Amino acid sequence: MTPPIEPAGLSRRQFLSVAGLTAGTALLAGCAPGATLGSGPQTLQFWHLLSGGDGVTMSTLLQQANDAQDAFRIRPTVLAWGTPYYTKLAMAGAGGRAPDVAVMHATRTVGWAPGGLLDPWDLDRLAELGIDGSKFPDPIWEKGFVGENMYSIALDAHPFVMMFNTDICDAAGVLDTDGALKKTSSPEEFVDQLRTVSGTAEGHALSYGYLGDGAQMWRLFYCLYAQHGLAMELPIGGKAIIDKDAAIESLEFMQTLLDGEIAAAQNDYGSAVAEFATGKSGMLFTGVWELRTMQNAKLPFDATVIPTLYGTPAVYADSHSFVLPNQTNPDPAKRDLTYRFVADMLKGSFGWAEAGHVPAFLPVTQSPKYDDLLPQAHYAEAAEHVVYDPTAWFTGSGSSFQGEFGAAVQGVLLSGDDPAAAIDRFEARVNTLLAQPNPADPEGTWKP
Amino acid sequence: MTNTATSTRAIVTGGASDLRPRRAGTGRREQLVSWAFLAPFVVAFVLFLIWPIVHGIYLSFTDQSLTGAGGSLVGFANYAEALTDPVMWRSMGNTVWFTLLSTVPLVAIALLMAALVDRGLPGQWLWRLSFFMPYLLASTVISQIWVWIFNPQIGAANNVLEAFGLEPLAWLQNPETNMMSIVIATVWWTVGFNFLLYLAAMQNIPPQQYEAASLDGASTWRQFWSITLPQLGPATVLILLLQILASLKLFDQAYQMLGGVASDTTRSIVQYIYEAGFTSYRFGYSAAISYVFFALIVIVGVAQAVVSRRRKEQL
Repeated sequence: MTPPIEPAGLSRRQFLSVAGLTAGTALLAGCAPGATLGSGPQTLQFWHLLSGGDGVTMSTLLQQANDAQDAFRIRPTVLAWGTPYYTKLAMAGAGGRAPDVAVMHATRTVGWAPGGLLDPWDLDRLAELGIDGSKFPDPIWEKGFVGENMYSIALDAHPFVMMFNTDICDAAGVLDTDGALKKTSSPEEFVDQLRTVSGTAEGHALSYGYLGDGAQMWRLFYCLYAQHGLAMELPIGGKAIIDKDAAIESLEFMQTLLDGEIAAAQNDYGSAVAEFATGKSGMLFTGVWELRTMQNAKLPFDATVIPTLYGTPAVYADSHSFVLPNQTNPDPAKRDLTYRFVADMLKGSFGWAEAGHVPAFLPVTQSPKYDDLLPQAHYAEAAEHVVYDPTAWFTGSGSSFQGEFGAAVQGVLLSGDDPAAAIDRFEARVNTLLAQPNPADPEGTWKP
Repeated sequence: MTNTATSTRAIVTGGASDLRPRRAGTGRREQLVSWAFLAPFVVAFVLFLIWPIVHGIYLSFTDQSLTGAGGSLVGFANYAEALTDPVMWRSMGNTVWFTLLSTVPLVAIALLMAALVDRGLPGQWLWRLSFFMPYLLASTVISQIWVWIFNPQIGAANNVLEAFGLEPLAWLQNPETNMMSIVIATVWWTVGFNFLLYLAAMQNIPPQQYEAASLDGASTWRQFWSITLPQLGPATVLILLLQILASLKLFDQAYQMLGGVASDTTRSIVQYIYEAGFTSYRFGYSAAISYVFFALIVIVGVAQAVVSRRRKEQL
């Protein structure tokens, strides 16, 4: 690419014109990806928001996908998760020149599909590649639909779980003979178990970080709320349907845990993870994405779903899902390769399980190999009981909804404010959001 | 006063008419050259300032979304919503509260620091450097530093409290202390700029005045009170004005120190504009809030101008 010239032997004008010509040629070549059609592997642009340990695992999986065939090459772009990612992806979709495929949280698609920011998946083509509803847990497959069309295909479920230090819990006598945590089925039983663990843990029985972290507060709260056999409903243009009694009971239970003895009254997410990772506490409420952290810390630990305390098994989760951001003129050949790539990734998602996530593709979690993958196999049942954020355009991972929840209830956990008043504050804010139009469809013209 | 003004104008007018015959031949060419020199600035000014302002006003009357949807005119609906939106007013209130809380220490501490450095502290270069250095740091860096300091479990701030036998605080998370925590971090971060302005103003005061005062037996305190402070009047007005404008723009450090979490007690109006536009994708509404904010700044500015003119007239 370097022009074969000696800059010293050229006048400034000559040098500039040669350099300009070279740059222009390179630019034109870059603008014409179609020119290479049929002459080698197609490049598929892939945006995702996975960093840290997840990012390393995803890179490995992409490398495997690339090496396994000659038809396409995946070119990933990694962006900081949360608002920055979703803003950029939305703008790319709005402009119609989006990447070929991207990862989104399943809970976010409902705010996007009505505005045409996402293209629907062709279920027939997916079925030809061996991807259909029978290969996914029902709640995870269903979450991919907005109206009649499917907009996202889940790679995983990443539930909110409970990790426990096997040495500390064993010393406290709360483990079964097979090493699993003894079952508790009511708030009282669970609190008793935690108080027993308090006796042997150097720090607290439980690590739970929530300060300034609406998502953390919401994950535990909604898990407990859903265990009442309830789901919040957020009808657009209407009023939020929230069972006050269940909501208050869930918040009061969280207050009980944060008494300074069972769990630190004031802890943020990072400090809670550190407390557990350094072996000072018996249990930790966290997402499965912290599995690698604990493995790297060489901690004697296991993981399980948060016990069912209110009768109905429910596990708060979200799913990393593949979506087709809107392209004005999608290249049919590339689109088809994208389907192949997604099918390959789902079938090869055992590697993704190693990062802690529960693969959505059942043939992976039902394989004997997966049973041997510990502690992942101990919480694989979570996929059957996943509970996502209530459906609305403003909810989901990385949305402001979870921040609003945190702002409303943090005082309850931090300084013992009244739970009922906090739920009222939250409800009022949600009702304000419900009264606003979906920004992806402000004129309300979309019909499923 | 009037005579001087009239005579000045006469000289200017006379001078200009004297030049007219000489410029007649080259006027058009000179004009072209001057426009050519001005053009890049004018283009940038129109493209990046005038056009966004005009387009923003237009957007504020539409339901335009960041996602590309919408765009229909909705009249004053966005403004009506903004004016009745409790979160908008709360954010506006937080911004004004922050401005009040931060401006006073940012001016007073800067004055104190400048006075210490100006009058005789040994190792002046070290003081100047250490007072000004935090100002050079990016907001991301200072946010991270202060998040550590304010960490309820391992932070230095709670170590200090505990050393005095006080209860530890959740500085950034407790709604009763989080705004104050942001003020403390902001003062540490930005006071260096005001310090520099004050120091420059102090060094413009002729040393002979201090010498004379010393000969008359005035103490250092007396000199500061009767010589330094009165002569810092114009600098103080400038610093106050710049500081109020800077404080009203509160966003990045508060947003980062709280991890982007919406907090009723710290969400500034700029953060709410950002949330409406980039989290909720409501561009039209976001534009409307920013013009409500703009209107309030204009009102404050005009009020400030009126008050200072009255004060001048009284003087």
